[in-house]
Amino acid sequence: MKQITLLTILAAAAIALPLVIGENPYITGILISVLMMAALSSAWNILGGYAGQYSFGHAAYFGAGAYTTLILLTNYPTLNPLICMAVGIIAASIIALITGAIVFRLRGHYFGLASIAVAEIVRLSVLNFDFTGGAQGILLSDVSLWGLDLNSKNPFYYAMLLVLAVTLGITAYLRTSKTGYYLQAIREDQDAASSLGINLSFYKNKSLLLSAALTSVLGSLYGLYIRFIDTSAVLDLRLSIEIILTAIIGGVGTLWGPVVGALLLVPLAEMLRSNLLGDALVKAGLVSETSALGIFLKENLAHAHVLVYGIITVLCILYLPKGILGLFRRTK
Amino acid sequence: MIQHLLRISHVSKHFGGNVAVHDVSFAVDEKQIVGLIGPNGAGKTTLFNCMTGFFPVTSGEVIFDIKKINDLRPDEVCRLGMARTWQRVKPLGSLSVLENVMVGAFSVTNKTRQAEEIAMEQLKRMGLTDYASKSAGSLPIGLKKKLELARVLATHPKLLLLDEICGGLNHTETETILDIIRSIRQRGATIVFIEHDMKAVTSICDRIVVLNSGEKLAEGSPEEITNNPDVIAAYLGGGHHA
Ligand SMILES: Nc1ncnc2c1ncn2[C@@H]1O[C@H](COP(=O)(O)OP(=O)(O)O)[C@@H](O)[C@H]1O
Ligand SMILES: [Mg+2]
Repeated sequence: MKQITLLTILAAAAIALPLVIGENPYITGILISVLMMAALSSAWNILGGYAGQYSFGHAAYFGAGAYTTLILLTNYPTLNPLICMAVGIIAASIIALITGAIVFRLRGHYFGLASIAVAEIVRLSVLNFDFTGGAQGILLSDVSLWGLDLNSKNPFYYAMLLVLAVTLGITAYLRTSKTGYYLQAIREDQDAASSLGINLSFYKNKSLLLSAALTSVLGSLYGLYIRFIDTSAVLDLRLSIEIILTAIIGGVGTLWGPVVGALLLVPLAEMLRSNLLGDALVKAGLVSETSALGIFLKENLAHAHVLVYGIITVLCILYLPKGILGLFRRTK
Repeated sequence: MIQHLLRISHVSKHFGGNVAVHDVSFAVDEKQIVGLIGPNGAGKTTLFNCMTGFFPVTSGEVIFDIKKINDLRPDEVCRLGMARTWQRVKPLGSLSVLENVMVGAFSVTNKTRQAEEIAMEQLKRMGLTDYASKSAGSLPIGLKKKLELARVLATHPKLLLLDEICGGLNHTETETILDIIRSIRQRGATIVFIEHDMKAVTSICDRIVVLNSGEKLAEGSPEEITNNPDVIAAYLGGGHHA
Protein backbone atom coordinates (compact mmCIF):
# COMPACT_ATOMS: atom_id res chain seq x y z
CA MET A 1 0.00 0.00 0.00
CA LYS A 2 2.77 2.40 0.99
CA GLN A 3 4.56 1.39 -2.19
CA ILE A 4 1.57 2.17 -4.36
CA THR A 5 1.20 5.62 -2.76
CA LEU A 6 4.88 6.32 -3.29
CA LEU A 7 4.68 5.14 -6.88
CA THR A 8 1.63 7.31 -7.59
CA ILE A 9 3.35 10.39 -6.18
CA LEU A 10 6.46 9.63 -8.22
CA ALA A 11 4.45 9.16 -11.41
CA ALA A 12 2.45 12.32 -10.80
CA ALA A 13 5.64 14.29 -10.18
CA ALA A 14 7.22 12.94 -13.35
CA ILE A 15 4.12 13.83 -15.37
CA ALA A 16 3.85 17.31 -13.89
CA LEU A 17 7.53 18.16 -14.16
CA PRO A 18 7.52 19.70 -17.68
CA LEU A 19 4.56 21.88 -16.71
CA VAL A 20 6.43 23.14 -13.66
CA ILE A 21 9.58 23.83 -15.63
CA GLY A 22 7.74 25.49 -18.49
CA GLU A 23 9.43 25.98 -21.87
CA ASN A 24 13.03 25.40 -20.96
CA PRO A 25 14.57 23.30 -23.73
CA TYR A 26 17.88 22.96 -21.94
CA ILE A 27 16.47 21.49 -18.73
CA THR A 28 13.88 19.41 -20.60
CA GLY A 29 16.69 18.07 -22.75
CA ILE A 30 18.59 16.90 -19.71
CA LEU A 31 15.46 15.32 -18.27
CA ILE A 32 14.87 13.46 -21.53
CA SER A 33 18.44 12.18 -21.35
CA VAL A 34 17.88 11.02 -17.78
CA LEU A 35 14.69 9.15 -18.74
CA MET A 36 16.31 7.64 -21.79
CA MET A 37 19.40 6.44 -19.94
CA ALA A 38 17.21 5.08 -17.12
CA ALA A 39 15.12 3.15 -19.65
CA LEU A 40 18.16 1.93 -21.62
CA SER A 41 19.85 0.76 -18.47
CA SER A 42 16.63 -0.93 -17.27
CA ALA A 43 16.30 -2.73 -20.58
CA TRP A 44 19.93 -3.84 -20.34
CA ASN A 45 19.28 -4.92 -16.76
CA ILE A 46 16.73 -7.56 -17.86
CA LEU A 47 19.53 -9.40 -19.63
CA GLY A 48 22.61 -8.28 -17.67
CA GLY A 49 21.16 -7.87 -14.21
CA TYR A 50 18.62 -10.67 -14.06
CA ALA A 51 20.00 -13.30 -16.45
CA GLY A 52 23.59 -12.32 -15.62
CA GLN A 53 24.56 -12.07 -19.30
CA TYR A 54 26.59 -8.89 -19.59
CA SER A 55 26.11 -7.31 -22.99
CA PHE A 56 28.75 -4.81 -24.00
CA GLY A 57 27.06 -4.16 -27.31
CA HIS A 58 23.64 -2.70 -26.59
CA ALA A 59 24.46 0.26 -28.82
CA ALA A 60 23.80 -2.13 -31.74
CA TYR A 61 20.12 -2.45 -30.78
CA PHE A 62 19.81 1.26 -30.05
CA GLY A 63 21.40 2.04 -33.38
CA ALA A 64 19.20 -0.48 -35.17
CA GLY A 65 16.11 1.37 -33.94
CA ALA A 66 17.48 4.85 -34.68
CA TYR A 67 18.84 4.02 -38.13
CA THR A 68 15.84 1.99 -39.26
CA THR A 69 13.49 4.78 -38.27
CA LEU A 70 15.43 7.58 -39.90
CA ILE A 71 16.24 5.65 -43.07
CA LEU A 72 12.56 4.79 -43.50
CA LEU A 73 11.38 8.32 -42.81
CA THR A 74 13.88 9.99 -45.15
CA ASN A 75 12.73 7.63 -47.91
CA TYR A 76 9.03 7.55 -47.06
CA PRO A 77 8.27 10.83 -45.26
CA THR A 78 4.58 10.02 -44.85
CA LEU A 79 5.18 6.78 -43.00
CA ASN A 80 3.79 6.60 -39.47
CA PRO A 81 6.76 6.78 -37.05
CA LEU A 82 5.20 3.99 -35.00
CA ILE A 83 5.52 1.66 -37.99
CA CYS A 84 9.18 2.66 -38.30
CA MET A 85 9.56 1.77 -34.64
CA ALA A 86 8.08 -1.67 -35.27
CA VAL A 87 10.44 -2.27 -38.18
CA GLY A 88 13.29 -1.13 -35.90
CA ILE A 89 12.28 -3.79 -33.38
CA ILE A 90 12.44 -6.41 -36.13
CA ALA A 91 15.90 -5.25 -37.17
CA ALA A 92 17.16 -5.32 -33.58
CA SER A 93 15.57 -8.73 -33.02
CA ILE A 94 17.35 -10.17 -36.04
CA ILE A 95 20.71 -8.94 -34.71
CA ALA A 96 19.81 -10.33 -31.27
CA LEU A 97 18.73 -13.72 -32.64
CA ILE A 98 21.91 -14.13 -34.65
CA THR A 99 24.07 -13.16 -31.67
CA GLY A 100 22.13 -15.45 -29.35
CA ALA A 101 22.11 -18.40 -31.72
CA ILE A 102 25.86 -18.25 -32.02
CA VAL A 103 27.00 -17.55 -28.49
CA PHE A 104 24.39 -18.85 -26.09
CA ARG A 105 25.36 -22.43 -26.90
CA LEU A 106 28.71 -21.67 -25.34
CA ARG A 107 29.39 -21.40 -21.64
CA GLY A 108 31.43 -18.73 -19.96
CA HIS A 109 32.09 -15.15 -20.91
CA TYR A 110 31.72 -15.59 -24.63
CA PHE A 111 28.54 -13.59 -24.71
CA GLY A 112 30.21 -10.43 -23.40
CA LEU A 113 32.97 -10.68 -25.97
CA ALA A 114 30.68 -11.63 -28.82
CA SER A 115 28.30 -8.76 -28.04
CA ILE A 116 31.15 -6.29 -28.55
CA ALA A 117 32.13 -8.00 -31.79
CA VAL A 118 28.58 -7.96 -33.16
CA ALA A 119 28.11 -4.30 -32.22
CA GLU A 120 31.35 -3.38 -33.95
CA ILE A 121 30.34 -5.30 -37.08
CA VAL A 122 27.04 -3.41 -37.11
CA ARG A 123 28.79 -0.08 -36.58
CA LEU A 124 31.37 -0.66 -39.32
CA SER A 125 28.72 -1.89 -41.74
CA VAL A 126 26.60 1.17 -41.19
CA LEU A 127 29.68 3.34 -41.61
CA ASN A 128 30.45 1.76 -44.97
CA PHE A 129 27.02 1.37 -46.56
CA ASP A 130 25.55 4.11 -48.72
CA PHE A 131 21.93 3.84 -47.72
CA THR A 132 22.91 4.49 -44.12
CA GLY A 133 24.58 7.79 -44.96
CA GLY A 134 28.00 6.35 -44.12
CA ALA A 135 30.21 8.63 -42.07
CA GLN A 136 27.97 11.58 -42.79
CA GLY A 137 25.02 10.17 -40.94
CA ILE A 138 21.35 10.84 -41.60
CA LEU A 139 19.47 14.08 -41.25
CA LEU A 140 15.70 14.10 -40.97
CA SER A 141 14.23 17.45 -41.89
CA ASP A 142 10.70 17.07 -40.67
CA VAL A 143 8.54 14.63 -38.81
CA SER A 144 4.92 14.64 -37.75
CA LEU A 145 2.63 12.43 -35.74
CA TRP A 146 -1.02 13.04 -34.93
CA GLY A 147 -0.53 16.78 -35.37
CA LEU A 148 1.79 16.95 -32.35
CA ASP A 149 4.34 19.75 -32.34
CA LEU A 150 7.48 17.64 -32.56
CA ASN A 151 9.69 20.69 -32.48
CA SER A 152 8.78 20.98 -28.84
CA LYS A 153 10.62 18.64 -26.54
CA ASN A 154 7.68 17.83 -24.32
CA PRO A 155 6.19 15.03 -26.46
CA PHE A 156 9.55 13.28 -26.31
CA TYR A 157 9.74 13.75 -22.57
CA TYR A 158 6.43 11.94 -22.23
CA ALA A 159 7.32 9.30 -24.80
CA MET A 160 10.57 8.48 -22.95
CA LEU A 161 8.69 8.47 -19.66
CA LEU A 162 6.17 6.03 -21.11
CA VAL A 163 8.86 3.66 -22.39
CA LEU A 164 10.64 3.85 -19.03
CA ALA A 165 7.38 3.04 -17.25
CA VAL A 166 6.73 0.11 -19.58
CA THR A 167 10.27 -1.20 -19.11
CA LEU A 168 10.02 -0.94 -15.33
CA GLY A 169 6.57 -2.54 -15.47
CA ILE A 170 7.90 -5.48 -17.49
CA THR A 171 10.83 -5.84 -15.08
CA ALA A 172 8.54 -5.74 -12.05
CA TYR A 173 6.30 -8.37 -13.61
CA LEU A 174 9.26 -10.54 -14.60
CA ARG A 175 10.57 -10.56 -11.06
CA THR A 176 7.50 -12.36 -9.83
CA SER A 177 7.10 -14.67 -12.81
CA LYS A 178 8.55 -18.02 -13.77
CA THR A 179 10.73 -16.40 -16.43
CA GLY A 180 12.19 -13.95 -13.91
CA TYR A 181 13.04 -16.71 -11.46
CA TYR A 182 14.56 -18.75 -14.26
CA LEU A 183 16.72 -15.83 -15.41
CA GLN A 184 18.02 -15.32 -11.89
CA ALA A 185 18.69 -19.03 -11.50
CA ILE A 186 20.76 -18.89 -14.71
CA ARG A 187 22.67 -15.93 -13.31
CA GLU A 188 23.41 -17.75 -10.06
CA ASP A 189 24.44 -21.17 -11.35
CA GLN A 190 23.95 -22.50 -14.85
CA ASP A 191 24.52 -26.17 -13.96
CA ALA A 192 22.04 -26.02 -11.10
CA ALA A 193 19.58 -24.18 -13.35
CA SER A 194 19.70 -26.72 -16.15
CA SER A 195 19.52 -29.64 -13.71
CA LEU A 196 16.24 -28.13 -12.48
CA GLY A 197 14.69 -28.17 -15.95
CA ILE A 198 15.68 -24.75 -17.24
CA ASN A 199 16.44 -24.57 -20.95
CA LEU A 200 19.41 -22.22 -20.71
CA SER A 201 19.64 -21.02 -24.30
CA PHE A 202 15.87 -20.52 -24.61
CA TYR A 203 15.66 -18.26 -21.58
CA LYS A 204 18.85 -16.37 -22.41
CA ASN A 205 17.53 -15.72 -25.90
CA LYS A 206 14.16 -14.69 -24.54
CA SER A 207 15.67 -12.07 -22.24
CA LEU A 208 18.07 -10.89 -24.95
CA LEU A 209 15.18 -10.40 -27.38
CA LEU A 210 13.11 -8.51 -24.85
CA SER A 211 16.03 -6.33 -23.88
CA ALA A 212 17.01 -5.67 -27.50
CA ALA A 213 13.44 -4.80 -28.55
CA LEU A 214 13.04 -2.24 -25.76
CA THR A 215 16.45 -0.77 -26.52
CA SER A 216 15.53 -0.45 -30.17
CA VAL A 217 12.32 1.44 -29.34
CA LEU A 218 14.42 3.91 -27.37
CA GLY A 219 16.76 4.22 -30.35
CA SER A 220 13.81 5.01 -32.63
CA LEU A 221 12.54 7.63 -30.21
CA TYR A 222 15.98 9.16 -29.92
CA GLY A 223 16.28 9.33 -33.70
CA LEU A 224 12.93 11.11 -33.98
CA TYR A 225 13.91 13.45 -31.18
CA ILE A 226 17.40 14.40 -32.32
CA ARG A 227 16.71 13.99 -36.08
CA PHE A 228 20.37 13.71 -36.88
CA ILE A 229 22.29 10.52 -36.23
CA ASP A 230 25.65 9.10 -37.11
CA THR A 231 27.51 6.04 -35.87
CA SER A 232 29.33 7.93 -33.13
CA ALA A 233 26.00 9.11 -31.71
CA VAL A 234 24.02 5.88 -31.70
CA LEU A 235 26.33 2.93 -32.39
CA ASP A 236 29.38 3.73 -30.33
CA LEU A 237 30.93 1.39 -27.77
CA ARG A 238 30.93 4.38 -25.43
CA LEU A 239 27.13 4.29 -25.34
CA SER A 240 27.13 0.57 -24.52
CA ILE A 241 29.54 1.22 -21.67
CA GLU A 242 27.49 4.13 -20.29
CA ILE A 243 24.41 1.93 -20.22
CA ILE A 244 26.24 -0.71 -18.18
CA LEU A 245 27.88 1.77 -15.81
CA THR A 246 24.52 3.37 -15.08
CA ALA A 247 23.17 -0.02 -14.00
CA ILE A 248 26.27 -0.93 -12.00
CA ILE A 249 26.32 2.34 -10.13
CA GLY A 250 22.62 2.27 -9.37
CA GLY A 251 22.44 -1.44 -8.61
CA VAL A 252 22.55 -4.34 -11.07
CA GLY A 253 19.63 -6.75 -10.90
CA THR A 254 17.42 -4.35 -8.97
CA LEU A 255 14.26 -2.73 -10.29
CA TRP A 256 15.14 0.89 -9.47
CA GLY A 257 18.94 0.71 -9.70
CA PRO A 258 19.09 1.89 -13.32
CA VAL A 259 16.82 4.84 -12.53
CA VAL A 260 18.97 5.89 -9.57
CA GLY A 261 22.09 5.48 -11.67
CA ALA A 262 20.69 7.64 -14.47
CA LEU A 263 19.49 10.34 -12.05
CA LEU A 264 23.01 10.58 -10.73
CA LEU A 265 25.16 10.09 -13.80
CA VAL A 266 23.37 11.97 -16.57
CA PRO A 267 23.28 15.34 -14.75
CA LEU A 268 26.86 14.75 -13.66
CA ALA A 269 27.95 14.13 -17.24
CA GLU A 270 26.05 17.22 -18.31
CA MET A 271 27.77 19.31 -15.65
CA LEU A 272 31.14 18.09 -16.82
CA ARG A 273 30.27 18.65 -20.46
CA SER A 274 29.16 22.22 -19.94
CA ASN A 275 32.03 22.82 -17.56
CA LEU A 276 29.67 23.68 -14.70
CA LEU A 277 31.87 21.72 -12.34
CA GLY A 278 35.01 23.66 -13.30
CA ASP A 279 33.16 26.94 -12.95
CA ALA A 280 31.83 25.92 -9.57
CA LEU A 281 35.30 25.04 -8.33
CA VAL A 282 36.55 28.43 -9.46
CA LYS A 283 33.60 30.26 -7.91
CA ALA A 284 34.07 28.45 -4.63
CA GLY A 285 37.62 29.75 -4.63
CA LEU A 286 39.06 26.26 -4.58
CA VAL A 287 40.85 26.71 -7.87
CA SER A 288 42.05 29.92 -9.44
CA GLU A 289 40.85 30.45 -13.00
CA THR A 290 44.26 31.55 -14.20
CA SER A 291 46.25 28.86 -12.41
CA ALA A 292 47.60 25.91 -14.35
CA LEU A 293 45.02 23.62 -12.76
CA GLY A 294 42.18 26.02 -13.57
CA ILE A 295 43.16 26.20 -17.22
CA PHE A 296 43.65 22.46 -17.37
CA LEU A 297 40.19 21.87 -15.89
CA LYS A 298 38.58 24.32 -18.26
CA GLU A 299 40.14 22.68 -21.26
CA ASN A 300 39.73 19.05 -20.32
CA LEU A 301 36.87 18.56 -17.91
CA ALA A 302 34.33 18.75 -20.71
CA HIS A 303 35.77 15.59 -22.24
CA ALA A 304 36.21 13.84 -18.95
CA HIS A 305 32.79 12.46 -18.28
CA VAL A 306 33.61 8.97 -19.45
CA LEU A 307 36.71 9.04 -17.25
CA VAL A 308 34.64 10.22 -14.31
CA TYR A 309 32.12 7.42 -15.00
CA GLY A 310 35.02 5.01 -14.92
CA ILE A 311 36.34 6.32 -11.62
CA ILE A 312 32.89 6.22 -10.02
CA THR A 313 32.41 2.67 -11.28
CA VAL A 314 35.70 1.50 -9.81
CA LEU A 315 34.80 3.12 -6.48
CA CYS A 316 31.37 1.51 -6.67
CA ILE A 317 32.76 -1.94 -7.36
CA LEU A 318 35.22 -1.53 -4.48
CA TYR A 319 32.90 -0.03 -1.89
CA LEU A 320 29.34 -0.55 -3.11
CA PRO A 321 29.37 -3.87 -4.98
CA LYS A 322 25.58 -3.91 -5.05
CA GLY A 323 25.31 -0.33 -6.29
CA ILE A 324 23.77 2.61 -4.53
CA LEU A 325 20.52 0.73 -3.97
CA GLY A 326 22.50 -2.01 -2.24
CA LEU A 327 23.08 0.49 0.57
CA PHE A 328 19.40 0.61 1.39
CA ARG A 329 18.65 -3.09 1.04
CA ARG A 330 18.02 -5.04 4.17
CA THR A 331 20.69 -7.67 4.50
CA LYS A 332 19.10 -11.05 4.82
CA MET B 1 11.44 -58.51 -21.03
CA ILE B 2 10.89 -56.77 -17.73
CA GLN B 3 10.21 -53.06 -17.97
CA HIS B 4 12.88 -51.15 -16.06
CA LEU B 5 12.45 -47.49 -15.15
CA LEU B 6 16.11 -46.88 -15.89
CA ARG B 7 18.61 -48.95 -17.81
CA ILE B 8 22.30 -48.15 -18.06
CA SER B 9 23.69 -50.17 -20.94
CA HIS B 10 27.46 -50.57 -21.51
CA VAL B 11 28.15 -46.94 -20.67
CA SER B 12 31.73 -45.73 -20.96
CA LYS B 13 33.10 -42.25 -20.45
CA HIS B 14 36.63 -41.26 -21.32
CA PHE B 15 38.30 -37.94 -20.62
CA GLY B 16 41.08 -38.02 -23.15
CA GLY B 17 43.12 -41.01 -22.07
CA ASN B 18 41.51 -41.15 -18.63
CA VAL B 19 38.82 -43.83 -18.49
CA ALA B 20 36.42 -42.57 -15.83
CA VAL B 21 33.63 -45.08 -16.52
CA HIS B 22 34.12 -48.33 -18.40
CA ASP B 23 31.34 -50.54 -19.78
CA VAL B 24 28.95 -50.17 -16.86
CA SER B 25 25.49 -51.74 -17.07
CA PHE B 26 22.71 -52.00 -14.52
CA ALA B 27 19.00 -51.38 -14.26
CA VAL B 28 16.70 -49.71 -11.77
CA ASP B 29 13.11 -50.82 -11.27
CA GLU B 30 10.29 -48.67 -10.08
CA LYS B 31 10.13 -48.02 -6.33
CA GLN B 32 13.60 -49.38 -5.77
CA ILE B 33 16.39 -47.66 -3.93
CA VAL B 34 19.66 -48.58 -5.57
CA GLY B 35 22.94 -47.71 -3.89
CA LEU B 36 25.93 -46.75 -6.01
CA ILE B 37 29.13 -47.09 -4.02
CA GLY B 38 32.84 -47.13 -4.64
CA PRO B 39 35.99 -45.34 -3.51
CA ASN B 40 36.75 -41.75 -4.43
CA GLY B 41 37.38 -41.40 -8.14
CA ALA B 42 35.51 -44.62 -8.96
CA GLY B 43 33.37 -42.76 -11.52
CA LYS B 44 30.08 -42.44 -9.61
CA THR B 45 29.57 -38.72 -10.18
CA THR B 46 30.72 -39.05 -13.78
CA LEU B 47 28.06 -41.71 -14.31
CA PHE B 48 25.40 -39.33 -12.92
CA ASN B 49 26.66 -36.62 -15.26
CA CYS B 50 26.31 -39.01 -18.20
CA MET B 51 22.82 -40.04 -17.12
CA THR B 52 21.55 -36.46 -16.77
CA GLY B 53 22.89 -34.99 -20.00
CA PHE B 54 25.82 -33.06 -18.53
CA PHE B 55 28.42 -35.24 -20.25
CA PRO B 56 27.96 -37.04 -23.56
CA VAL B 57 28.74 -40.73 -23.12
CA THR B 58 31.75 -42.06 -25.03
CA SER B 59 29.76 -45.21 -25.77
CA GLY B 60 26.70 -47.01 -24.49
CA GLU B 61 23.14 -45.97 -23.82
CA VAL B 62 21.01 -44.58 -21.03
CA ILE B 63 17.37 -45.62 -21.30
CA PHE B 64 14.79 -43.94 -19.10
CA ASP B 65 11.16 -44.95 -19.35
CA ILE B 66 11.87 -46.76 -22.67
CA LYS B 67 13.35 -43.56 -24.10
CA LYS B 68 17.01 -43.22 -25.00
CA ILE B 69 18.07 -40.08 -23.18
CA ASN B 70 21.83 -39.83 -23.42
CA ASP B 71 21.59 -37.29 -26.26
CA LEU B 72 19.21 -35.01 -24.39
CA ARG B 73 20.06 -31.78 -22.58
CA PRO B 74 20.03 -31.72 -18.76
CA ASP B 75 16.83 -29.66 -18.66
CA GLU B 76 15.07 -32.15 -20.94
CA VAL B 77 16.14 -35.03 -18.74
CA CYS B 78 14.80 -33.20 -15.69
CA ARG B 79 11.47 -32.53 -17.34
CA LEU B 80 11.18 -36.20 -18.34
CA GLY B 81 11.29 -36.95 -14.63
CA MET B 82 14.87 -37.80 -13.71
CA ALA B 83 16.45 -35.23 -11.43
CA ARG B 84 19.70 -35.10 -9.52
CA THR B 85 21.40 -33.38 -6.62
CA TRP B 86 25.00 -32.22 -6.62
CA GLN B 87 27.79 -33.66 -4.51
CA ARG B 88 29.20 -30.15 -4.29
CA VAL B 89 26.01 -28.29 -3.48
CA LYS B 90 24.91 -25.61 -5.91
CA PRO B 91 22.62 -23.20 -4.11
CA LEU B 92 21.35 -20.20 -6.08
CA GLY B 93 23.26 -18.05 -3.62
CA SER B 94 21.60 -14.66 -3.76
CA LEU B 95 18.07 -16.05 -3.97
CA SER B 96 16.18 -16.93 -0.82
CA VAL B 97 15.74 -20.50 0.34
CA LEU B 98 12.09 -20.37 -0.69
CA GLU B 99 12.95 -18.98 -4.13
CA ASN B 100 15.51 -21.75 -4.66
CA VAL B 101 12.86 -24.38 -4.14
CA MET B 102 10.36 -22.42 -6.25
CA VAL B 103 12.78 -22.62 -9.18
CA GLY B 104 12.53 -26.39 -8.89
CA ALA B 105 8.74 -26.23 -8.62
CA PHE B 106 8.46 -24.16 -11.79
CA SER B 107 9.25 -27.28 -13.78
CA VAL B 108 5.79 -28.60 -12.87
CA THR B 109 3.80 -25.34 -12.86
CA ASN B 110 3.88 -21.96 -14.58
CA LYS B 111 2.08 -20.16 -11.77
CA THR B 112 4.11 -18.36 -9.14
CA ARG B 113 1.47 -18.87 -6.44
CA GLN B 114 1.43 -22.60 -7.07
CA ALA B 115 5.22 -22.84 -7.20
CA GLU B 116 5.31 -21.12 -3.83
CA GLU B 117 2.85 -23.63 -2.39
CA ILE B 118 4.83 -26.60 -3.67
CA ALA B 119 8.02 -25.03 -2.34
CA MET B 120 6.59 -24.32 1.11
CA GLU B 121 5.41 -27.92 1.30
CA GLN B 122 8.92 -29.19 0.56
CA LEU B 123 10.48 -26.76 3.03
CA LYS B 124 8.11 -27.99 5.69
CA ARG B 125 8.97 -31.61 5.00
CA MET B 126 12.66 -30.73 5.24
CA GLY B 127 12.27 -28.63 8.39
CA LEU B 128 13.48 -25.52 6.57
CA THR B 129 10.37 -23.38 7.00
CA ASP B 130 12.12 -21.02 9.42
CA TYR B 131 14.81 -20.33 6.85
CA ALA B 132 12.45 -19.61 3.94
CA SER B 133 13.43 -15.95 3.56
CA LYS B 134 17.14 -16.40 4.33
CA SER B 135 19.52 -16.13 1.40
CA ALA B 136 20.55 -19.62 0.27
CA GLY B 137 24.22 -18.71 0.14
CA SER B 138 24.28 -17.94 3.86
CA LEU B 139 23.13 -21.39 5.04
CA PRO B 140 25.53 -23.79 6.80
CA ILE B 141 26.42 -26.91 4.81
CA GLY B 142 23.94 -29.21 6.57
CA LEU B 143 21.03 -26.97 5.61
CA LYS B 144 22.39 -26.46 2.10
CA LYS B 145 22.23 -30.22 1.62
CA LYS B 146 18.62 -30.22 2.81
CA LEU B 147 17.88 -27.33 0.48
CA GLU B 148 19.41 -29.28 -2.39
CA LEU B 149 17.04 -32.14 -1.58
CA ALA B 150 13.98 -29.90 -1.15
CA ARG B 151 14.68 -28.17 -4.46
CA VAL B 152 15.03 -31.36 -6.47
CA LEU B 153 11.94 -32.89 -4.86
CA ALA B 154 9.97 -29.83 -5.93
CA THR B 155 10.49 -30.94 -9.55
CA HIS B 156 8.42 -34.04 -8.62
CA PRO B 157 10.88 -36.51 -10.13
CA LYS B 158 9.96 -40.08 -10.99
CA LEU B 159 13.57 -41.03 -10.45
CA LEU B 160 15.79 -39.24 -7.99
CA LEU B 161 19.59 -39.30 -8.23
CA LEU B 162 21.27 -38.37 -4.95
CA ASP B 163 25.02 -37.68 -5.03
CA GLU B 164 26.44 -37.98 -1.51
CA ILE B 165 23.54 -36.09 -0.03
CA CYS B 166 24.83 -36.99 3.45
CA GLY B 167 28.47 -36.14 2.67
CA GLY B 168 30.02 -33.81 5.23
CA LEU B 169 27.08 -34.11 7.61
CA ASN B 170 27.24 -35.20 11.24
CA HIS B 171 25.42 -38.23 12.59
CA THR B 172 22.14 -36.53 13.53
CA GLU B 173 21.97 -34.59 10.27
CA THR B 174 22.58 -37.82 8.36
CA GLU B 175 19.77 -39.52 10.29
CA THR B 176 17.29 -36.74 9.48
CA ILE B 177 18.14 -36.95 5.78
CA LEU B 178 17.81 -40.75 5.83
CA ASP B 179 14.43 -40.41 7.52
CA ILE B 180 13.33 -38.02 4.81
CA ILE B 181 14.49 -40.46 2.14
CA ARG B 182 12.58 -43.28 3.83
CA SER B 183 9.43 -41.17 3.82
CA ILE B 184 9.90 -40.28 0.15
CA ARG B 185 10.29 -43.94 -0.63
CA GLN B 186 7.06 -44.78 1.16
CA ARG B 187 5.31 -42.56 -1.33
CA GLY B 188 6.72 -44.75 -4.07
CA ALA B 189 9.77 -42.83 -5.25
CA THR B 190 12.61 -44.49 -7.10
CA ILE B 191 16.10 -43.48 -6.05
CA VAL B 192 19.71 -44.02 -7.05
CA PHE B 193 21.81 -43.20 -4.07
CA ILE B 194 25.56 -42.47 -4.14
CA GLU B 195 26.91 -42.68 -0.63
CA HIS B 196 30.15 -43.25 1.22
CA ASP B 197 28.62 -44.22 4.54
CA MET B 198 28.22 -48.02 4.22
CA LYS B 199 25.82 -48.19 7.16
CA ALA B 200 23.55 -45.64 5.54
CA VAL B 201 23.63 -47.51 2.25
CA THR B 202 22.91 -50.96 3.66
CA SER B 203 20.14 -49.64 5.88
CA ILE B 204 18.25 -47.98 3.08
CA CYS B 205 18.98 -49.68 -0.25
CA ASP B 206 17.27 -52.62 -1.92
CA ARG B 207 20.21 -53.25 -4.16
CA ILE B 208 23.77 -52.03 -4.39
CA VAL B 209 26.05 -51.51 -7.38
CA VAL B 210 29.76 -51.28 -6.62
CA LEU B 211 32.06 -49.31 -8.90
CA ASN B 212 35.82 -49.52 -8.76
CA SER B 213 38.19 -47.63 -11.08
CA GLY B 214 35.33 -46.96 -13.45
CA GLU B 215 34.19 -50.57 -13.72
CA LYS B 216 31.32 -52.40 -12.12
CA LEU B 217 32.79 -54.68 -9.50
CA ALA B 218 29.64 -56.23 -8.09
CA GLU B 219 25.89 -55.91 -7.85
CA GLY B 220 23.44 -57.43 -5.40
CA SER B 221 21.47 -57.11 -2.19
CA PRO B 222 23.13 -55.30 0.74
CA GLU B 223 23.80 -58.70 2.29
CA GLU B 224 25.42 -60.10 -0.83
CA ILE B 225 27.58 -57.02 -1.21
CA THR B 226 28.82 -56.95 2.37
CA ASN B 227 29.73 -60.62 2.06
CA ASN B 228 31.19 -60.46 -1.45
CA PRO B 229 34.90 -61.40 -1.23
CA ASP B 230 35.81 -59.21 -4.22
CA VAL B 231 34.20 -56.19 -2.66
CA ILE B 232 35.79 -56.89 0.70
CA ALA B 233 39.20 -57.40 -0.86
CA ALA B 234 39.19 -54.56 -3.34
CA TYR B 235 37.27 -52.06 -1.40
CA LEU B 236 35.89 -52.59 2.05
CA GLY B 237 39.07 -54.17 3.34
CA GLY B 238 41.53 -51.90 1.60
CA GLY B 239 40.07 -48.44 1.96
CA HIS B 240 38.51 -46.45 4.71
CA HIS B 241 35.67 -45.35 2.52
CA ALA B 242 32.65 -47.51 2.64
N1 LIG C 1 35.18 -33.02 -16.12
C1 LIG C 1 36.17 -33.94 -15.99
N2 LIG C 1 37.27 -33.87 -16.78
C2 LIG C 1 38.26 -34.78 -16.67
N3 LIG C 1 38.25 -35.80 -15.80
C3 LIG C 1 37.19 -35.94 -14.98
C4 LIG C 1 36.10 -35.01 -15.03
N4 LIG C 1 35.18 -35.38 -14.11
C5 LIG C 1 35.68 -36.49 -13.52
N5 LIG C 1 36.88 -36.82 -14.03
C6 LIG C 1 37.69 -37.99 -13.66
O1 LIG C 1 36.88 -39.12 -13.66
C7 LIG C 1 37.22 -39.99 -12.61
C8 LIG C 1 36.00 -40.32 -11.78
O2 LIG C 1 35.63 -39.19 -11.01
P1 LIG C 1 34.24 -39.08 -10.28
O3 LIG C 1 33.17 -39.51 -11.19
O4 LIG C 1 34.12 -37.73 -9.71
O5 LIG C 1 34.41 -40.14 -9.11
P2 LIG C 1 33.51 -40.38 -7.82
O6 LIG C 1 32.29 -39.52 -7.92
O7 LIG C 1 33.22 -41.83 -7.83
O8 LIG C 1 34.37 -39.99 -6.65
C9 LIG C 1 38.33 -39.32 -11.82
O9 LIG C 1 39.56 -39.85 -12.23
C10 LIG C 1 38.21 -37.88 -12.24
O10 LIG C 1 39.47 -37.26 -12.21
MG1 LIG D 1 31.59 -38.04 -6.67
